[in-house]
Amino acid sequence: MVQALNAALRQCLRDDPRTLVFGEDVGRLGGVFRVTDGLQDEFGARVFDTPLAESGIVGIAIGLAMAGWRPVPEIQFDGFSFPALDQVLTNLAKYRGRSRGAYDMAVTLRVPSFGGISGPEHHSESPETLYAHTAGLKVVSPSGPQEAFHLLVQAVEEPDPVIFLEPKSRYWAREEVSMTPSPLPVGKARIVRSGDDATLVAWGAMVRRCLEVAAAAEEDGVSLEVLDLRWLVPMDDETLVESVSRTGRAVVVHEAPRTGGMGAEVSARLMELAFRKLRAPVQRVTGWDVPYPAASAEHEYIPSLDRILLAVQRVLDE
Amino acid sequence: MAEFVFRLPDLAEGLEDAEVVEWRVAEGDQVELNQLLGEVQTSKATVEIPSPRTGRVVRVHAQPGELVRVGEPLVTFEVDDEPGVVGRVPHDRGARRRVRLRRPGQA
Repeated sequence: MVQALNAALRQCLRDDPRTLVFGEDVGRLGGVFRVTDGLQDEFGARVFDTPLAESGIVGIAIGLAMAGWRPVPEIQFDGFSFPALDQVLTNLAKYRGRSRGAYDMAVTLRVPSFGGISGPEHHSESPETLYAHTAGLKVVSPSGPQEAFHLLVQAVEEPDPVIFLEPKSRYWAREEVSMTPSPLPVGKARIVRSGDDATLVAWGAMVRRCLEVAAAAEEDGVSLEVLDLRWLVPMDDETLVESVSRTGRAVVVHEAPRTGGMGAEVSARLMELAFRKLRAPVQRVTGWDVPYPAASAEHEYIPSLDRILLAVQRVLDE
Repeated sequence: MAEFVFRLPDLAEGLEDAEVVEWRVAEGDQVELNQLLGEVQTSKATVEIPSPRTGRVVRVHAQPGELVRVGEPLVTFEVDDEPGVVGRVPHDRGARRRVRLRRPGQA
């Protein structure tokens, strides 16, 4: 997936001279995960290193976007995106509206996110809810290499600010990637496996986990559909409702803590839009309501195969 | 005596495989716990592999330059059959489910 992201950035830098890539260690080093490897060699000053100052990184991006550039800044890790929240919440999310459309805010903020790599807590956070709750931002997370390429190119082309959450635990996933434009428009979800008995809803690294669950369920004669939401904002109500109306049951899976997480949002939308089609209450399988634990306890925090299967059993039993 | 298969552990970063760079032990060697077995290279770093057990190296499963996927056998040891293994057992990526599903409508 790292190479797919690198290829997407390379294409954006080549195709649009307004594209800029910057952040901590993205230039000379090529990024701590190698996502920006070789870009400075090819594009020179349009790929540059910044000081360790996240608020400054986003502030620079906002100014450049107002001047007509298409900045693609990187925040090195999820937990380090918090020092930049002031600029994100106060200016990045609001400038298009504040200027009544006079300024685009075509910033794509790349944030390596989520857990699963035995890192400390500020390398393992799931910050999607903070951004999804901030009106004015679009929020997206790819589940694998092909998705990463398609979604990053789409995000960079967006006139709105996009928070692009890269699941670190999927960085080393491999698959053939077609460097064609995304077949799906912005805001569209994707059914990655069709099934009849229940729908698993996920994004980022949990899509892969849900596919493992679906394969395990198949052994027991249970047919699960897996829906990759992709875009958390805007959320694809249509595909969500269509899938769950068909299966009658839904389990939402995310790494972020449970309370007020995006699982609650998905569940609420299903209540509003598909209540009469539901055969069981929507279940959530999430991280616990605790700060991200030490690496040795990480496997207890991230939704496991068994925890998801138990939730599936609960919706089947209704 | 018992056989102990040391599988390539998840090198703590969600990596899927690693390439063997070199071995510092050969088949037939007696090794101590934590003795350096060799080096593997991931897409991020070169990592030294300490021995998870004291024992005799029976088989080295990959030669330098070969790619080993996480969970695949790296080295097979002959070890003393004693309870209380020291060190962490590398987690196996397969077979992690315990829960079995009942189908809708099944008792």
